[in-house]
Amino acid sequence: MRRSLSIFIPFVLMFAVLTGCSSGEQNVQAEKTQDGKTVVDFWSFWGSETRRPVIEKIIDDFNQSQDRIFVKHTFLPWGDIWTKNLASVAAGNPADVIINDINTVAQRAENKQVEDLSKYIDDSFKDQFYPHLWESVQYQNKPFAVPFNTDTRLLYYNKKAFKEAGLDPNKPPQTWEELEEYAKKLDIKNGSRYERIGFYPLWGSIGASSWMTNADNGAGFIEDGELKINTPNKVKALEWIAGWKERLGENTVQAFQAEFGSEQANPFIAEKVAMWVDIGTFYTQLRDYGKDIEFGVAPIPSYSKDSEHWAEGGGFVAEIPKGSDHPEEAMEFIDYLTGPEAQKYWAQKNFDNVANIKAAESVIDELTGDGQTVYQATVDNLKVTKMFPVPVEYPDYHNRINPIIDNILLGKYSPADGLRQAEKDVSKIKRE
Amino acid sequence: MKQTEILPSETYIHEPEAASKKKKRLSRTARENIIGYLFVSPWLIGFAGLTLGPLIFSLYASFTDYNITSKMNFIGLDNFKRMFTLDDLFWTSLLNTLYYVVFSVPLTTAGAILLALLLNQKVKGMKFFRTIYYLPAVLSGVAVYFLWMQLLSPSTGLVNTVLGWAGIEGPAWLFDPEWTKPALLVMKMWSVGGGMLLYLASLQGVSNEMYEAAELDGASSMQRFFYITAPMISPIIFFDVITSTIGSFQIFQEAYVMTESGNGGPANSLLFYNLHMWNNAFEIFDMGYASAMAWLLFIIVMVLTVLNLKLGKRWVHYEGGDK
Repeated sequence: MRRSLSIFIPFVLMFAVLTGCSSGEQNVQAEKTQDGKTVVDFWSFWGSETRRPVIEKIIDDFNQSQDRIFVKHTFLPWGDIWTKNLASVAAGNPADVIINDINTVAQRAENKQVEDLSKYIDDSFKDQFYPHLWESVQYQNKPFAVPFNTDTRLLYYNKKAFKEAGLDPNKPPQTWEELEEYAKKLDIKNGSRYERIGFYPLWGSIGASSWMTNADNGAGFIEDGELKINTPNKVKALEWIAGWKERLGENTVQAFQAEFGSEQANPFIAEKVAMWVDIGTFYTQLRDYGKDIEFGVAPIPSYSKDSEHWAEGGGFVAEIPKGSDHPEEAMEFIDYLTGPEAQKYWAQKNFDNVANIKAAESVIDELTGDGQTVYQATVDNLKVTKMFPVPVEYPDYHNRINPIIDNILLGKYSPADGLRQAEKDVSKIKRE
Repeated sequence: MKQTEILPSETYIHEPEAASKKKKRLSRTARENIIGYLFVSPWLIGFAGLTLGPLIFSLYASFTDYNITSKMNFIGLDNFKRMFTLDDLFWTSLLNTLYYVVFSVPLTTAGAILLALLLNQKVKGMKFFRTIYYLPAVLSGVAVYFLWMQLLSPSTGLVNTVLGWAGIEGPAWLFDPEWTKPALLVMKMWSVGGGMLLYLASLQGVSNEMYEAAELDGASSMQRFFYITAPMISPIIFFDVITSTIGSFQIFQEAYVMTESGNGGPANSLLFYNLHMWNNAFEIFDMGYASAMAWLLFIIVMVLTVLNLKLGKRWVHYEGGDK
């Protein structure tokens, strides 16, 4: 008796371990609800207090709008969501719809991680969306995702500070030259210490690469497979940025940066910096925490009088991971998610730029005051907003260029030498 | 069931009966072996399925262009060739990691021993100090990194503020590529409590008689340390050096959390080997290449560990003869 029992125990343990592993899986894989609707598994990283209710309302609306599909939302934290998606695609058991980065759609298409959507949509489908966004979801001339939201960058400026400095608050700087000239006037110095800085090009939601693109007539580092890293205008852009650092001094820049590094006090809202580049949703912070600030918005100053006010954009797409069990139902949900109604609701609640043109324009009409002004400005700015989808031949080109730009800005290389090196490094990693 | 039933003496009483059944049943040893294996089988299955299997798979993957979802072609040594000839970041990451290992292992080992020696004194309230110094080792992970990011903040951080009192202008720590790795070392020194505890335990095991004898012979405190304490705790030092060497090669989280968007910046100064490997595996899905990197790291760590074991024979003292 005892002996047979002792033999039995490990089996019980093993059984418990094995069933413990698999029972959870079965719940996830439920294909139908009890009333016979097809379950569409939807993964997003929108778990915050502001975003979660909005996306869940959209899902509820969709679920109630028809009686065949039930969308089940799973929130996965930013970062985790990608590795989990990758693992589940590899295991052949992915979600049916996932929100993913707009600039890497081609990578995922190339590596067979997403479904080709061309068979589910007709030619006119794309007309709903801003063309630069639609272009970003293409791989070999086929769409592999549908754009959901996007962003663009504007120059926010403090009108009160403009008046104090003797500048016209209705004439924001148009060119780099003006930007620099205004910035100097907006600086407030107490002895050698800065109390307010007019502008610094690397603060806010913008980096060196955006300025380089702005200077280079909107050209990114790689255009149509051709490397455009070491161009005269990009060198000039870096020299220009380095000039700001030199004028203000390394210590001033660092001290300011450290003060607002924690993101507890935005320096534009605290009126420590008079001009600031940020995305459209920055307005919600101004609305909620900067009631006393009189501000204006303008496109990012252009490199010269003749060039455009180029800005950089990003965003997210809805896509169907490769191997989804219900791609057709998934596409139906994506269609709703990126349609005018859901997009409008998303835009109203989050003040986000959305991909659907009709939705974006109808939101403008409903907004009032500063909100309307800013939203209108962001929508107008989409015309000069460039996306920089990562080319499949150079999947990690950022990792080769950014450290060199760091070194250039630290004064370790000259802009010309550094960019020459960067172009050489990137050419080495080209994939066939 | 009666307690007596499980006494071994009882089984001896039944010995003749058991022997008569020997032909029908397996011998006692065989039965016990089977039961033993069954008991460890969950672990064995786990090891085979979750560790050994993936290990072998990644070894094979290191010779392919495996990208998790669509490709797995055998490409021979191409991954390794690319590593050595085309991927400059491989060298950057390897050098960064070596820098970290070379400094962190001796510093944390020496720090832990020194701390243990101090905390081994007979002073009033020692328990309180031991707790204080051990406390950082209890905290771990991301919260600590965030704490240190604030402490090391160039103009408002506590570290530079204190340096400022002494008239020293502190560096920009995590913002200056020259100072990022020293910043991590400073952070690591703060949490030597775990190692300290090991040394403290082994120091208390060193018998007092030896110190008394040495004292009678007129040995100075330095001599007592180098001729008694150091040899007596050398097995623990050895263990600590080997495990912390391996641990230091695996540094990843610190760089992933403490650099902007986890890219190992500024200027790649915190791009450690594992971070570069992670980027290859999960950012650009180059799992074959990442597997090759993992195996190369394994070889490096293996060689160093074997070297350590060989050198260890010269300086590690085991009481009761060599092992």
